[in-house]
Amino acid sequence: MRFEFLSEAEVKQVHQATLAILNQIGIHTTSPRLKKLLVNNGCKEQGDRIVFPPEVVEKALSTAPKTFKVYGRDDSHMLEFGKNKAYAQTCVGTPSIMDLDSGEKRDVTLKDLEDYVKLADALEYIHVISPIFPRDVPQEIIVSAETVAMLRNTTKPLRICAESSHEMKYIVDILAAVAGGKEALRQKPLAYIEVSPLSPLEYGFDPAEALIDIVEAGLPLGVIPCPMMGSTGPMTLIGCVAQHNAEILAGVVASQLLKPGSPVIMSPRVTFMDMRSGVGLWAMPEMGTAAAASIEMARYYGIPSTATGYSGAAKSADAQSGYEHLYNALMPALIGTDVLAAAGSLDNVLTSCFAMLVMDNELSSVVQRTIQGVEVTTERLAVDVIAEVIESHGNFLAHKHTRKYLRAGELWDPPLGDRQTFEKWALKGEKIEKKAREKAKELLSNHQVEPLSAGVDAELELILKRAREEAEIF
Amino acid sequence: MSSFNDLAESVITGNFGKVKEITQEMIDKGIGPLEIINDGLIAGMNVVGVRFKAEDMFVPEVMMSAKAMAGGMELVKPLIADTDMPSVGTVVLGTVKGDLHDIGKSLVAMILESGGFKVVNLGTDIAPEGFVKAIREHKPQIVGMSALLTTTMLNMKATIELLKEEGLRDQVKVIVGGAPVSQSFADEIGADGYGSDAMVAKDLCFKLVGKAS
Ligand code: B12
Repeated sequence: MRFEFLSEAEVKQVHQATLAILNQIGIHTTSPRLKKLLVNNGCKEQGDRIVFPPEVVEKALSTAPKTFKVYGRDDSHMLEFGKNKAYAQTCVGTPSIMDLDSGEKRDVTLKDLEDYVKLADALEYIHVISPIFPRDVPQEIIVSAETVAMLRNTTKPLRICAESSHEMKYIVDILAAVAGGKEALRQKPLAYIEVSPLSPLEYGFDPAEALIDIVEAGLPLGVIPCPMMGSTGPMTLIGCVAQHNAEILAGVVASQLLKPGSPVIMSPRVTFMDMRSGVGLWAMPEMGTAAAASIEMARYYGIPSTATGYSGAAKSADAQSGYEHLYNALMPALIGTDVLAAAGSLDNVLTSCFAMLVMDNELSSVVQRTIQGVEVTTERLAVDVIAEVIESHGNFLAHKHTRKYLRAGELWDPPLGDRQTFEKWALKGEKIEKKAREKAKELLSNHQVEPLSAGVDAELELILKRAREEAEIF
Repeated sequence: MSSFNDLAESVITGNFGKVKEITQEMIDKGIGPLEIINDGLIAGMNVVGVRFKAEDMFVPEVMMSAKAMAGGMELVKPLIADTDMPSVGTVVLGTVKGDLHDIGKSLVAMILESGGFKVVNLGTDIAPEGFVKAIREHKPQIVGMSALLTTTMLNMKATIELLKEEGLRDQVKVIVGGAPVSQSFADEIGADGYGSDAMVAKDLCFKLVGKAS
């Protein structure tokens, strides 16, 4: 399957603009380590900025791996990056959640994180787990606490965001304890870790330092700035895509200069603003169309990518969130991306919602089904079958070709949506949100997650204790 | 000769050059600086405020209007004593320590400026000590803190505590905002107000300085 949002010539134009941005404007950083790495390897200082000659960029693009794998505690959940499988990832970082019982928005707690991860573990078409942010854990060690909570409640691979480098050592220790050592973790990474430089073209101290730590730890790195059209990037969609592409490539280049061949992921997030009210939006269509354009750039470079995905401005799991999420997910998926993020999110990624996660599981199922495409074979084209049916004056229901392909899964089966007759539906008259909420409750009470071994679990507790002590929280 | 209406209209359309030109022309004609400000510059900005609230104007347009007004202000400022300068009040604004989210706070700054406040925008990653220093230096009526992260919103509390320690808490009103912040959090940490968006922040500031918006 090969869709195009930009033509081949347009892709080259964006690439040229990207090279010009990197070569003429470059980036600024307050991290001495990043600065040294870049300048010692072919980049140049120009005033207080660092510019990237095209040769340096092109060389890095050639060493970045086209494929790699990320694992879960259970090998059957392994992710193949670079194969454009459009895995669904739960939304990171929402400060709020819709309470499953009351349906009211409130602060996220540790219990919510555990439940949410467990629900995601149970949902077949949610493949990558990222944390919502609990308020009731010491905020100094929040990423460590989240990582432990996630590992206890899922066997699927994780996506972690490194707010700064100060927790990196605990995060690596926690992952290594579960993987069976640091070398085992490098062989089979249990997570990929993403950093957010600032738009436009600013590699702040924390993200820059974290970037280096992640590559040095041998874990796959994601580069995820987040410009806003007309605010921290140009107003024009394609201008914002070009600037964003340049700021992401700066991180890709840094990773390759540090360790050629180290796994890196381009995670474009061009967002926009309601210029009448100032509300930051992750809505449609701009989010989806910009993602399609950015992902086409990643495809051109052959570098694995992620996009958002399951996001919108709607405040509840309803028709609006359904159509927004499907639009924004399908656009980059059709171009070809590895991960679609923000599953279960509402309100421009500010709130998570159990019911929405169940709905996004359904959308993920149909997105994955769509990008599978169809196999075109003589048997599937079924010219003979058509002739036979017409000759027999019968219909296709009676033909064995029908039974064979029906059993082989020719029809998509909705995990959630309603398809009954009106009369049967009317008996309960259920709306999708209610159904989704009930399914979430049922899965939460019945789903069992393979626990960590008692030894590993105790080790994680010790690492958390050490992190707490070193942060002087008792 | 240009009228106050022309001046106001140039503020509304965000025509920086024209605002300066008319203001200078009026000064040269001997028109009183306070009249220029109140009947021209601020009159125009008031219309902008109303139109923005009614969602008739875009954020970058409001920004240009605010800039244009400031351009005119600069010309009349030397002509009047600081104390006579019609200012609704001074607000010190910053994003708290550890937090780099800038846009929401800057939007609040812009809208407050458009409402006639003098805004001192400290930037991002501002430690409690940074707020204290700025309060001593600028003597604002209001200090506003922004936080977009659950991890950094606790620094709002730390800042309020430091203001108390330094004996400054009674001299300023403290307001807070940012996506994870709520009215109940504001109450909990003893802030004087919470604003869910820039327009609400403006109304809140007017209320806190005891003036009508
Ligand atoms: C853009 C963005 C970024 C950009 C910021 C760029 C910049 N120069 O500002 C970048 C990419 C750098 C970034 C980084 C990070 N981000 Co961020 N980011 C956002 C995003 C998408 C939009 C924020 C925004 O600009 N909104 C638009 C403005 C106009 O709205 P606003 O800020 O809410 O402001 C309005 C009101 O809140 C209010 N207001 C704001 N301040 C004040 C102050 C006062 C006094 C008053 C009265 C009112 C008020 O008025 C404003 C105007 O109407 C939000 C998600 C979201 N939807 O909010 C995540 C979000 C805030 N980020 C998040 C995260 C996790 C991060 C990172 C940790 C990610 C990472 N791994 O690197 C880092 C942290 C960096 C740091 N130390 O600060 C999380 C928060 C997690 C949490 N629970 O704490 C969010 C919610 C996204 C998510 N779901 O993960 N981010």
